[in-house]
Amino acid sequence: MLARVAVGDQAAFDAMYDRVAAPVFGTVRKVVRDPGLTEEVTQEVFVEVWRAASRFDASKGSPMAWVATIAHRRAVDRVRSEQRSADRDRRAASPMIAYDDVAETVEDNLDRERVRRCLGSLTDLQREAVTLAYYGGYTYRQVAGLLGVPAGTVSTRMRDGLIRLRDCLGAGR
Amino acid sequence: MRIRRPEPHTLAGAYALDALDGPDRARFERHAARCQECTREVTGLREATARLATAAAVPPPAALKEALRAETARTRQLPPVTGPRPAAPRPSARRLGVRRLVLALGGAAAVAAVTVWVTASLGPPAGQPSASQEIATVLTAPDSVRLTARVRTGGIATIVMSRHDGMLVFAAAGLRHLPAAQHYELWLIGSGRDRPAGRLPIPSHGMTGPVIASGLRSGDRLGLSVEHAAGTRRPSTPMILELTL
Repeated sequence: MLARVAVGDQAAFDAMYDRVAAPVFGTVRKVVRDPGLTEEVTQEVFVEVWRAASRFDASKGSPMAWVATIAHRRAVDRVRSEQRSADRDRRAASPMIAYDDVAETVEDNLDRERVRRCLGSLTDLQREAVTLAYYGGYTYRQVAGLLGVPAGTVSTRMRDGLIRLRDCLGAGR
Repeated sequence: MRIRRPEPHTLAGAYALDALDGPDRARFERHAARCQECTREVTGLREATARLATAAAVPPPAALKEALRAETARTRQLPPVTGPRPAAPRPSARRLGVRRLVLALGGAAAVAAVTVWVTASLGPPAGQPSASQEIATVLTAPDSVRLTARVRTGGIATIVMSRHDGMLVFAAAGLRHLPAAQHYELWLIGSGRDRPAGRLPIPSHGMTGPVIASGLRSGDRLGLSVEHAAGTRRPSTPMILELTL
């Protein structure tokens, strides 16, 4: 599908959008928090996907991972550059998913249960390090400061946690 | 400022989570350019982070798709990279990818479960001395707000605050080293007298904190000063950080 997007196929782009827009929008929203900025960043993400679709390489991961990587990277970069320029940042900090999202979701118990179960297989520190970084947009040094753990410990827990999560979800190899 | 650097390959997880800032990220990318194993590992870990993305799925407003269509219509696409590598993915790989995308759609439902479950799991300290219950409470409070600010004499402070709980967690990186007789002190500055809100511990590996301050009142500001004597009742030097909370 991304190969068709790469040659300017608008219908393929629309279909791709329908499949990944919710994960992209939800992830960007969790990281940047501000509703207006969420829409702006989400739009930038999809323009980038459109622009760079020819650079997608299926031997280097799934289309979802490629799009999610672009989305998450852009969201945290935006948050961090706003911090630098404003010298100061105020936003909701919770790495948790807001309760008001619940009503908007559709059902798929299988996948939901798997992510839940796999996060549960991590140690507390692995899970906190992974979720604070991914959903909170914190750097590993910030996570270390907030949890009172040496930065080197946090970086190894992030790696161990993701490896365990990956193996548990059967994602990648 | 002295921050001990972890071995580059241990940063693969932090890199996949985009938890490296500019210099750390550039350093890891330089390393990965020479380390095929690192590149392979990041690729695998990003399949895992992609599932965290699907677990956070929220449908975007419908208007976004329309706005995007106008945007792509005037955006020139990059040409394929020329070379021995085939530009289009092999059909089998593509099918697999599409199947993952379809699975990902279902991930929207993970939201509810993950919310309730993660919140519950972060509640008790569960034998993890690193994350005290109070810190976890503030970090996961529904109303928690995060502030980042530069300290005038050097360093970056991160503050996570819950107004509802009247508490904040303070941590800083790269604060200027102080002689043994001095220390950093946090203050809550409100309508009455400035209230001492905690003394920062000796930094470890360039990180200072976390310090928990409680008893926040509406309209309070947070200050940081350098103090000379223990048990100071009021700030004796100008604030090197002052934030409206």
